[in-house]
Amino acid sequence: MRAKIISIPVQDQEKALKFYSDKLGFVKKVDVPLGEGNRWLTVVSKEEQDGPELLLEPSPNHFEPAKIYQKALFDAGIPYTQFNVDSVQQEYERLINLGVEFSIKPTEMGTVKIAVFNDSCGNNIQLVEMK
Amino acid sequence: MIMLIQNMMMTFYQREINRIKDICYSNERQIDAVVRTRNFIDNNFDKEVNLILLSNVGFASKFHLLRLFKKYYGQTPKQYLTDKRIEKSKENLKKGMTVTETCLSVGFECPSSFSTLFKSKIGLTPIEFQKRATFAK
Repeated sequence: MRAKIISIPVQDQEKALKFYSDKLGFVKKVDVPLGEGNRWLTVVSKEEQDGPELLLEPSPNHFEPAKIYQKALFDAGIPYTQFNVDSVQQEYERLINLGVEFSIKPTEMGTVKIAVFNDSCGNNIQLVEMK
Repeated sequence: MIMLIQNMMMTFYQREINRIKDICYSNERQIDAVVRTRNFIDNNFDKEVNLILLSNVGFASKFHLLRLFKKYYGQTPKQYLTDKRIEKSKENLKKGMTVTETCLSVGFECPSSFSTLFKSKIGLTPIEFQKRATFAK
């Protein structure tokens, strides 16, 4: 068994693809039409294209509990998932310049530094740097 | 009063972060010791690294440091070092280094033990991994 997919619920797949590509720098890997405008849509990290794929799935639009769960996490400020970066501070500054909103600015937390931003698709995402 | 209002304005997650920080990360001396140890491994993974050396870097006795490292990183220094070496060896194999060159470049001494370890961690031998990486280009 292998873990290859990290699923992220998004409210608008096209908008999510733009955000994850243009702002975060991920690269589209798989895009399969599934009818009625839905897609099996994955992106990968540019530096690690054989790494895990992020599945941008439109679950909040089709399954009410998914929508409620996503909103509850978002309102509580809880990240849906997290990405590793070499420097949280540099990535924070780069993303702020691109208009990305942060709910938690770069914060030292013991052996890691974290920051949390809004992915504009209904999720908080945490950036992590190991110290 | 101001503190109370500030606390109320925080999200649930911000309050959780502060709570966990207080519980887990309040001992700065311990954190300094493990961060220094980890940085040392990151910068010296290609050389011989052992617990005696690390205990000098971390200013702590061998077994105390071992416990602290495990407590803060969830892995022993040895496990962390091995993962680091395997990660670097993947980069070097992708660049086209031979298996023996790769093995020595990341601090392992014996190519056959390296190949066995690599296969157990990655699921492919270094040569198979290299072939796939070259093919994917």
